[in-house]
Formats: sequence, structure tokens, C-alpha cells
Amino acid sequence: MSAPVLPLNSRGKLASSLPAEQLAEISALFEFRRKGYSLDAPFYTDATIFKMDMEAIFGQHWIFAGSVAELPEPGDYITVDYGPYSLIVLRNDDGGVNVLHNVCRHRGARVLTEAAGATGNLVCGYHSWTYSPEGNLIHASAPGEAKFDKNCFALKRAHGREVAGLIFVCIADEPPTDFDETSRIFEPYLAPHDLSKTKIAYQQNIIEEGNWKLVMENNRECYHCDGHPELACSLFPTWGLTEGLIPAHLEEVWDRNKEAQSSLEERCRRYGLPYEVVEELDTRIAGIRISRESLDGEGESFSADGRRLSKKLLGDLPDFRLGRCSMHLQPNSWFHFQSDHVITFGVFPINEHQSLVRTTWLVADDAVEGVDYDLEKLTYTWKQTNLQDKAFVELCQTGAGSPAYEPGPYMKSEYQVEAFINWYVQRVQEHLA
Amino acid sequence: MTELLTETIVQEPHRIRGLEMPWNRVMGSTEGPASAARALGPWHPQEFMAECVEIVPEVGGMMTFVFRRCDGAPLAFRAGQYVNVAFPVNGEDQDPADRSYSLSSAPTKPWTFDITVKRDPTGLVSPWVHQNIKPGTVLEMLGPVGAFHLPDADRRARYLLLAAGAGITPIMSMVRTIHSLPGQADVVVLYHGAADEGFAFNKELAYIASVDSRIRVFYSLGDRAKPADWEGLSGRLTAAMLNEVAPDANGRQVYACGPEGYLNTATELLGNVGVDDTSIHMEFFTGDRQTILEYQAELALAVDIAEEIAEEIADSAEDYYEGQPAAFGLYEPGYDAEGTLQATGMPLETVDPDAPEASDDGSDAGAEVSTPDASSFETVGTGSLTLSFMRTGINVRVDPTEHILGPAQRAGVRIGANCKEGMCGSCKVVKLSGEVEMNHQGGIRAREIDAGKFLPCCSTARTDMVIDA
Repeated sequence: MSAPVLPLNSRGKLASSLPAEQLAEISALFEFRRKGYSLDAPFYTDATIFKMDMEAIFGQHWIFAGSVAELPEPGDYITVDYGPYSLIVLRNDDGGVNVLHNVCRHRGARVLTEAAGATGNLVCGYHSWTYSPEGNLIHASAPGEAKFDKNCFALKRAHGREVAGLIFVCIADEPPTDFDETSRIFEPYLAPHDLSKTKIAYQQNIIEEGNWKLVMENNRECYHCDGHPELACSLFPTWGLTEGLIPAHLEEVWDRNKEAQSSLEERCRRYGLPYEVVEELDTRIAGIRISRESLDGEGESFSADGRRLSKKLLGDLPDFRLGRCSMHLQPNSWFHFQSDHVITFGVFPINEHQSLVRTTWLVADDAVEGVDYDLEKLTYTWKQTNLQDKAFVELCQTGAGSPAYEPGPYMKSEYQVEAFINWYVQRVQEHLA
Repeated sequence: MTELLTETIVQEPHRIRGLEMPWNRVMGSTEGPASAARALGPWHPQEFMAECVEIVPEVGGMMTFVFRRCDGAPLAFRAGQYVNVAFPVNGEDQDPADRSYSLSSAPTKPWTFDITVKRDPTGLVSPWVHQNIKPGTVLEMLGPVGAFHLPDADRRARYLLLAAGAGITPIMSMVRTIHSLPGQADVVVLYHGAADEGFAFNKELAYIASVDSRIRVFYSLGDRAKPADWEGLSGRLTAAMLNEVAPDANGRQVYACGPEGYLNTATELLGNVGVDDTSIHMEFFTGDRQTILEYQAELALAVDIAEEIAEEIADSAEDYYEGQPAAFGLYEPGYDAEGTLQATGMPLETVDPDAPEASDDGSDAGAEVSTPDASSFETVGTGSLTLSFMRTGINVRVDPTEHILGPAQRAGVRIGANCKEGMCGSCKVVKLSGEVEMNHQGGIRAREIDAGKFLPCCSTARTDMVIDA
């Protein structure tokens, strides 16, 4: 094909998008990254490195896009934007997911402009070029065009897959294959919650004035959890700590946590639910951490007293006291699966200093608002927590912009932050090699 | 030669998800339900005469009386409900004594129904009942009554059924009902009795538990001395006992029936093991003044409804059936009126294509277009059919053979269109009435069509139409 191609299509040749000089500079920055310390300022503030992140991370890896509850029926779609990319994720008639670049093959206009909706064929709003749900151009009025061949102008496709009701996309020509193994790790933890029988109770989009890596870093530690008074009611603030690291003021909480955890594990064994910690945050390409952990109070959900927030159990779960099954996936998502509701978190970078954080609360699809759950109560804890996290991320972003900033050490309780950064550095260096 | 009975591995049945009462689909169907099935559906109380056809002695001083309605109709009720019976204890010419008794049979065998009466030697009515009711006895009844019953559809169907003494009767109805139905369920019965020979229905319960893997039954002998060979639990209800029989109690719906003291204890203990208040359903066999008043109010309401229904039956059989939904709503908790039918996951909602708010894109089409009067519109074109475009305010005459889009656009109706082949969907509009024949190529989804939309570029009119454009 002689048509002009995007730089990314010339796989592996970064030179096509970044000048050699900049590339050498970036490589050096990665080379000299001090292990156990936060990154140098340009990683959080520099537009070129952001471009690098989009190529090496978001252009190469499986990205969390949404859940089956967001596109339950054929024709339902969501659009997912990150960096320069916009993707259409569409439920097709076979029950699968089509992922299409949201770029019209005529003049490049966004084909679908809504964040979510339902459609038959896809019609570009500019000149009405019409594509089938598979992306084939099926109609373009072409008066007088003798040689116009519609077959050459299909929407570009990307990869999509659904595991346990979560939808992932990958725009690389050849996606990393170890996602299969990662799927096999988390599928048994999530399947009992049966996302296919859930609905969206609420979705929140926050734009945080921070680099996407700061958003992810902040999520990976609870060192800052004193700043989350609402969350601290149900989430043990000892999260991330191990025996020997417990400060005096948390000893009592630690004991309560241990007791709750052993009672939770007994329940899990009774119902055949996996609960063990699997932690491969930087030891595989599709990095993951998953576990089922106890919640404080009644141990049911993210409420002040730990009680359920929706009265309808998810899937075939027999019991409300199942704590939270929590998962973290590199590079852009984390999740909390409770017996009564699920919360998904996706981070979608906008540019080097802005990120969209999308939080979605899912309840059983037969739960009735106002009867089985109160929307305000359901969303309260994490709405507050998200706002507090946004403020923390923004404090760091501002700091990274200061000439006085220099990388600081991650503490022991922040080992998962280090793992995330280590994962990131490895992936970029592999890409640059 | 001795033949040994070896253990045979019996595989679990494959079942549909959740539990659904047989009448549920009938009630949810939009067309008139089949008449035989409809007979199961009058969920409101009625006054009727019933004839005793059988007496079955039970252990524990109880007696089951099997009745059938004198009018031959089945008795429709929900498992757990009760009937109010007028017993002529002082002779036929005196005022009868009214008593309420739970139905112990399953509504899935509706041609006869059972009440089970425990003899209270000091009581006025129960000794009379035991002594005088015989096959052939006809009594006046009112029923079914009560909000203590299983839901019509439950895709989770995880229950903890608690019974003390004669409190087993509505619980027995529930057990028998679940046993008679297909579907996944998980049922734990905890049955408290005062003496080991006092557990009514114990043989049937043991049988059901032995053949139905969904149902487990536990007995406890209260605080009396227990015989040496007693294999059940012992002692009054405790949190430890609840945890032992149902460690997942907090994920179950609890139905409890028995005397007031027992139920008050149960409420407290259930709270301790994490059961939500809204998951606890109770029926009192004895109670304080307030409880008695509540039951009296329930019965009084039942009498009112029964009278209304009787009048409606007299007016017209058709009105009678149409009158049902409003009437049975009174007897249901909120979820029945709103959501239980939907809870099966079946698409029971139907969209009326003639409804003006058929548009699902949030447009305010319906409210606005219903007002103008199409007969005052200018009419253009020739043809046998008239299309009224409500927003534009024009009538367009078309032939049944031509696609609607062209004549409409020529008449000045603003309909965006591009492919004109039913692919792009740009011309999608809502029809407020009338019929079209459409040959689209993927530009519209089935559910949009169900919502009254169509593509005028590839549709011909079959009748006169009113269109929101």
C-alpha cells in the first residue's frame, strides 16, 4: 500500500516519530534511573517522554477499556481515548467485541463522537462515510468517481478481548502473548461475581492534573491512607504493611485485620473462592496483583460500618461477607470486586500533565435503585477517596514541575509503587532496544 | 448368597437458574394468559366455600385437613399465605368463630389445599375442629391472605426457613413448593420442637431432604431433655446454631414462623450473624396486642378486597381479570409490583409502538407532537395513503409502492439522508402510528424498530401514518 502510514505502523522504528537526539536523551534517562526512587521530573512533565509512553506502553500493551456492563447488547459501544488515540469498542452481533480506530478513512474525522451509545452501522458525521460494525466501508457517496474502491478504506482495526466480563484492547500489531497467562490467573477470582449480570449504577469521569504514572503510583500504596478518612472505615489502613512494619498506632487495627482475614479465608475455602495473593507486578509483561482481602467492620463492602451497599448478591455468590477481591493490572487499571458491587478504575492519559480517571460502580442487574441500593451511599466512599487522590496526584505533579524537585525514596510500604515503575522502565527499555 | 447394596454415585440434576413460580410467566405475558393457567392467577383474597375431603393425623397433636373449593376452582395462593375460616363452633345458627390457619400444602397442586391444626386443649376452636370436621364438612373461607410468602421469581433462591412447633405449617408449604419446582435453590430448614415425637411432617421432610439435594433439614429439641438416641441438635435457637446450620445465613432470605418469643429471639440472633433486616420475613403464631391488631387489619383489608372482587366478577368476567393487577398489588411488598417479574432476566417489558414517547434518544418528540391536529395540515401529493408529518405540519399523500423518503423530502420535511439504501441510518425517524414495510441493510437495530423507529429511505407505507418528523 502506498497510502501514508502512521509512524506506529513502522513497527519498532521509534526514529520515525522521535528524533534520534531526543531518543538518545530519553534512553540515557532510563539508563540512569535510580532504583527505589521516584522518577526524574521529565518523566512526569515532558511532552516527548509522554509521546514515548504512548508508543511503548499504551501502543504495545493490553489496556483496560471497560466492562461488559457498558456494552451489554449488540450495537452498544464505548469510545476510549488515550493520548492521541481514540478507539471504538463495539459489541458485535456474534457477542464479541470489535475494536476500531475512531478515525474516518476519508478526512480523519472522529466517526463516533459520544462516549457511549448504540449504533447499527457507523456513520461519520462529516461526509457520511458509512462503515459496517466490522469497520468495512459500505457506503460513501462518490459522484463521478470512477475508480473509487471502497475496499481500500476500512476503519483500522485493533485487538479486543473480554475476560471475566472485563474488556481489554491493544493497538499493537502483535499484542503481548502472556496476557493469556495473566487471564488464567485472574479469571477464577472474578468469574463468581458474574459481570455479565451487572449494570452500571454510576460512572464518574475525573480529569486529574497529573501524569498518568503519578495516578498509578498513588493507587499502589496506602502510606497516604490517613488522607482517606472515609475509605479508612472499611479498608484496613494497614494495607501494604507486613509483620514488623506496623506502627504502634495501628497495632490494634493490624490484629483486627489478621482475625478478619482468617475468617474470610475460611469462608473462601468453604465456597471454593480463590483468595491467595498472586503478585507479578513486574515479573511478567502483563503485570498483575490479585487477592481477596478482608474489609473492616462487617466485612461486606466499602461502607462506614462495612455493611453491604446493595442488597442483591452478585452472580451465584452465597454470602455477603466476602471482603474485596482486588486486582491491579499494568498499566492502567485496578478493581474492587465485593459481593454486592464491583468498582472498576481505568486511567486514560490525555497528555503529560492530565489524565482521565474513569470509575464505574456496577451492581446486580436486577438491583433497583432506591430499593436495593441508595446511589449516594453506594458511591460515597470512593467518590470522596477519588477526590482526595486527585488532590494528592496534583500536589505531586506541581512538585515535579519545580526546579527544586529531585527523586525521593519509596518506603518499604511502597514496594508496589517501585514494582510499577520497574515494570514501566523495563517495558520502555525493551521497546527502545 | 447375600447381595450387598453398594453405594451408587448419583449425579446432580442440571437445572435452570433460580426459582420461578409456575404462574410467573403467565402473569408477565402481555397477551391474555391461557385460561387454564389464568385460573392460578387471582392473587387477591376471595370468599368461598370449601369441602373437607380428607383428614390426615400428624404427630405432635396436629391434624391436617384437606379441602377443595365447592365451586371446583383451584385455590390460588403463594407458599406461606393463610386462609381465614369460619368455624360454626356454636352450631349453624350462631355466629361462627373466625380463625386463621396457614396453608401447609403447595400451590403447585392447587386443586386441593391443606390446613394443619394443632390441638390446644384449652382452646375453644382447635378441639372442636379435631372432633367435628370430617370429610364432607363444608366451611366458609376467606383467602389467601398475607405477605409472608416466597417471591414469584428469585434467581438467587437461597433460603433459611426457621420453624418452631406449629410454625412448620407455612414453612412446609414452602418446602413442598420448592421441591415440586425445577430450578436452582439452596434451602436450609431449622425446625424446633418440644418433644422428639412432636415434629409434624418429619417423615415427609426426611424423604424430601433425602431425594432433593437442594433442601437440608435440621431438627432441634429445644431445651427439653433429649432421648438417648436423639441425633438432631439440641437447645434453643442460638447464633452458634444458626452458624452451624447456615454459615452463609447473611446471604439468605430468612422465613421464620412460630410463637412470638421464638421470633423475637430469632430477629436478634439473625442480626448478630449479619442478616439484613430486609431479608427477614416473619409470621407470628401468637402475639401481643399489636401483632393481633396487625393481623386483624390484614384480614379486614382482605374482606374489602374480596368484596370488591366479587362485585367485579358479577359485573363482568373480563373486567375481573383486568382488575387483578391493581388488586394483587395491595398484597405484595413493593418489589412485586415493580420488579419481581423482571428479576428473571426475561424481557417482560413491552414497548407500545404507538406510544408517543417511543423515541429512546431522549428527544422530546412525544410530548410536542401529540398536540397538533393533522386534519388542519396542508395536504400535498397524490396517492392512496396519507402520511402526517407532525413536526413539519404537513400531510403527504403517497402510493404504497414508493419509498417514503422521496415524497417526504419533496414536500419539505427535513429528514437527513445519505445512503438511501438502509445502511447508514441517517434518515431514522419515529413513527407514531401506522405500518411500514422496511427493507434495511443494517442501518437500524431490532430494538430501535421495536421502539417504533424506521428508515423512510427503504420503507413503504402500508397504512396511513403519523410520523414524528
